[in-house]
Amino acid sequence: MSVDRSVARRGVIDALPLFVPAVPFGLVIGLAIGDSGMNLFVGWSSSWIVFAGAAQLTLITLLGSGAALVAAVGTALVVNARHLMYSAALAPTFQRQPLWFRRLGPYLLIDQVFALVAVRPEEEPDRFRTYYLAVALTFWSLWLVVTALGIVIGPVIPEEWNLEFAVPILFIGLLILGIDRWPKVVAAVVGAATTYLAAGLPNRTGLLVGAAVGILAGTVAERYRGE
Amino acid sequence: MSELVAVLVVGLGSYLFRSFFILALANRRIPDQVLVALRFVAPAVMAALIVALMTDSEGNVAIGLPEASALLAGGAVAHRTRNHIWTLFAGMTVYWVVRALF
Repeated sequence: MSVDRSVARRGVIDALPLFVPAVPFGLVIGLAIGDSGMNLFVGWSSSWIVFAGAAQLTLITLLGSGAALVAAVGTALVVNARHLMYSAALAPTFQRQPLWFRRLGPYLLIDQVFALVAVRPEEEPDRFRTYYLAVALTFWSLWLVVTALGIVIGPVIPEEWNLEFAVPILFIGLLILGIDRWPKVVAAVVGAATTYLAAGLPNRTGLLVGAAVGILAGTVAERYRGE
Repeated sequence: MSELVAVLVVGLGSYLFRSFFILALANRRIPDQVLVALRFVAPAVMAALIVALMTDSEGNVAIGLPEASALLAGGAVAHRTRNHIWTLFAGMTVYWVVRALF
């Protein structure tokens, strides 16, 4: 039991510094929910139903900007497709876990949880599970609080501050921080250019076209790089 | 109502992505092509999103000097510091300053 407790404590302690950068992100999501005109409770519920910052922000911003439901949902899902990689990477480790945890664990599998648990695949199953749950539930509970806080403080912030502009700035940050090789630059530039050219398509579906062409361009660039 | 449906669908889809290999295909490998393509999802989508947010529904650029300088500043700071908080701080500060000056 004491081992369990020390492992759990380790998980909470490891999670906290990684949560710090997520704080402004969560606050901006809260603000965006307020700005979007959607039902506040439904908007906030995305924090526990979807539990993925970038996808939530995408969905909320697009719904608020009058995009078609299909375009908003489709883009948010594309944003989250990267989780397939995490699922594949952790599948062997999860094989040694009980069924209830194989069902619950993926629900909590966000970027930061993956980053912390992926480096300990050899861990004894009970300890792995305790650590995973401690990390993930720390993120989960703080995330619900911070996004709610954003909704609450949103109306207090003067409108002329235009804080909704924080949304594209956060996306720029996510874009730049994710780029570690030039084929990704190709994907970004082609994705941006195609979206611009396709911006006239109805209901902002140009976004999906741009994303798809960008992914394709990155894949092609990677192949040339490999040759 | 449609908002709730949208949130539920994205939530369900995200769970399927996260659980796909853990629950269904524990010992299968993802084809290499798919793995390579997945790497480019984030940059392509983020870039497309930024452009979509900066254009109106008819495809015209809908930003001025404050927005453009703020995005540049945010991008530069993100590149340099690898930190979201500084990125947000720099971007919004440049936005407010340029807007006040011009």
